[in-house]
Amino acid sequence: MLKTDQHFFSRRFSQFALLLSLPLAFYISLSSGSFGLSFNELTALLLAGPGETTEQVILWQIRLPRALLAGLVGAALSLAGATFQATLRNPLADPYLLGVSGGAALGAVAALTAGFSATLLVPIAAFCGALGTLLLVYLVARAHNCSPHTLILSGVMIGSLAGALLLFLLWQAPTEAARQAIFWMAGNLSLAHPGALSWSWLWIGSGLILLCLHAPQLDLMTQGEETAANLGIHVGRTRFVLFAIAGGLTAAAVALAGMIGFVGLVIPHICRLLWGPGHRRLLPFAALLGSSFLMIADAIARSVYAPAEIPVGVVTALLGAPFFLYLLQRNRGGM
Amino acid sequence: MIQANNLHFAFERTPIFNGLDLHIEHGEILSIIGPNGCGKSTLLRLLRGHLRPYTGDICWNNIPLTKMSFRNLARQVAMVPQTTHVDFPFTVHEMVAMGRYPHRQGLLSLAGNGDDKAIQEALALTDVLELAARQVTQLSGGELQRVLLARALAQNTPVLFLDEATSHLDIDHRLELAELLVRLNREQDKTIVQISHDLDLAAAISRRILMLSSHGEIVALGTPQQVMTATNLHRLFRVDLRVETNPYTGTPQITPLVNTAPHKLDHLKIHLFCGGGSGRILLRRLHLAQATLSVGPLNQGDSDHTTALALSIPTIEELPFQPYSAPILNQAREQITKADICVIATNWWGEGNLDCLDLALAVLDLNKVVYLIDPQQKNDFTEGRAWRKIEKLQQQGAICFRNEEHLFEHLQAIQKS
Repeated sequence: MLKTDQHFFSRRFSQFALLLSLPLAFYISLSSGSFGLSFNELTALLLAGPGETTEQVILWQIRLPRALLAGLVGAALSLAGATFQATLRNPLADPYLLGVSGGAALGAVAALTAGFSATLLVPIAAFCGALGTLLLVYLVARAHNCSPHTLILSGVMIGSLAGALLLFLLWQAPTEAARQAIFWMAGNLSLAHPGALSWSWLWIGSGLILLCLHAPQLDLMTQGEETAANLGIHVGRTRFVLFAIAGGLTAAAVALAGMIGFVGLVIPHICRLLWGPGHRRLLPFAALLGSSFLMIADAIARSVYAPAEIPVGVVTALLGAPFFLYLLQRNRGGM
Repeated sequence: MIQANNLHFAFERTPIFNGLDLHIEHGEILSIIGPNGCGKSTLLRLLRGHLRPYTGDICWNNIPLTKMSFRNLARQVAMVPQTTHVDFPFTVHEMVAMGRYPHRQGLLSLAGNGDDKAIQEALALTDVLELAARQVTQLSGGELQRVLLARALAQNTPVLFLDEATSHLDIDHRLELAELLVRLNREQDKTIVQISHDLDLAAAISRRILMLSSHGEIVALGTPQQVMTATNLHRLFRVDLRVETNPYTGTPQITPLVNTAPHKLDHLKIHLFCGGGSGRILLRRLHLAQATLSVGPLNQGDSDHTTALALSIPTIEELPFQPYSAPILNQAREQITKADICVIATNWWGEGNLDCLDLALAVLDLNKVVYLIDPQQKNDFTEGRAWRKIEKLQQQGAICFRNEEHLFEHLQAIQKS
């Protein structure tokens, strides 16, 4: 297991590597795809600014927004995952655990089958579906006792209810809408509306700041409700605020890119294994690592079968699971 | 300091407290003792505000608990929980630093000037300074308890609650903790309320002891000398304890009278009358002592019936809620003739089980022995008929015992002879 004193240097080194990973991932994301760019070409194009040539259009209007989007979605999912894991005191929690995935998919598919365009109204419907389900789960659990157990159980139940409705919608939807829906559910970074970047970085950025302000509260929430209350936390209010922020982040991620699994589960875990569970460090690190991870995963998804794309969720799972198992093996004795 | 008036509380439908009054004085050490499940932890959680009483009110320094903010309360009282398990691998230092949260100010709740000193002092006092960089998930139960205590000390509150905080500690750390509590109480005027299973230690350090019965009633409240009497302790734990004065400290010292040699009653054939839980202890202990045991009649669903069934003791069964019928009583009569000893532990007499006493009278005629456990006239609901039969039994040689323990001693004497 990592100990602060013995592993001080390896810890410093891993933090340094993390900081380096972001520009590296950004570069990989920009250069890869059906139209390969070398480092020199890329630098020249970036310095030249937006323009009319094919390369400039590809870089400035397609790849750059997409890389930024991947970074934002990765950060949002990791932050939401870290928050849910701490507040639910459950290492298996991910952003979709409390029925969010089912609700978002239901909203999106309802919009798709109603014939709305995939770029503008579907994300809004997914966003509303995600937040609506989370609110419903919260209200149902609060009517009982709002313990992590109750929350998870009602999340799973309401999630499967949404899933059933979703299957029904898919069954009676026209073929084209159903195909689009499945494409959307597998997670895909090419769906977002070009204008989405302008609001999403504000939204996700403020989510990051708000969560970091709640880092001490998140630390205390991991200790259980009574201990958190013993140390002066208003547990009910804090939990609601944290859920609202994490729910807002998840809903934004889902609206932007559909359902990308695994990032929100594994990235916070990896950060906790490497740098400890203290949230003042964990949150920014998870945001950074989540960004880099999803940018690279998206680059791979774009280039493996270029010009076709494979769903990025497939890549995140294929990359994340073995690495996580390796870390777990190395850190035997505790998460 | 803390004033609780007329507390009523229940879990689901099991009442715990019925009108409990308690006043905890400033600067005292109060220990709460009582059997498992009597509501010690519940009382602490009520006083801390984690649970709301159904009726009654709790005041801290004359301010109702419900009017105090979470943060304000956390500056008043720190709690050392019973927990022996943590999920997240914080370092010991991070864990103890959490205790400073209620004192931190501002949007970022950054560490203030006094924080580091308070944390270091708490780490040192609880002997976990050298563990500071270790992860709490890797500590032993005792080490973790000391860390949790350190966190509560770092909270630097005038009141300290401890919920069995010594249960996993070694003897040296347990004594150190006791010393530490006394010192904190004496030097910093801390009010300390602790739940303890260590009766000697509780007696040694407490100014007052609150003894709760298994029904959440106050058995006694007062100085250790007043409360720790053999009678009270027997009432509480149903075992015989010797209470002496410790020659070094002058405080009561409790020694359980344990028979180290296991009881063995394998020569004895015993039939037991009981019902409604009155036979629970005897069924278990006689079974463990390997006596040849039979029991009944018992109604199906009776708690003694459940016990007998679980221990595979031969039982004569009657349908639920029925008076014992003639064929059942005949079966019982046959069963009893096979036994040498008949024990009547029944503590409730009505029309339904009155005939059992006739069976017992018939047993006496066969030159066998009948023992009664603590028969009481107030438990006779047959307008005196049962009591007359019990008196007749006693006249004809049945022996009464005050409790199961006395009967057991007697049975052992028989086993030996």
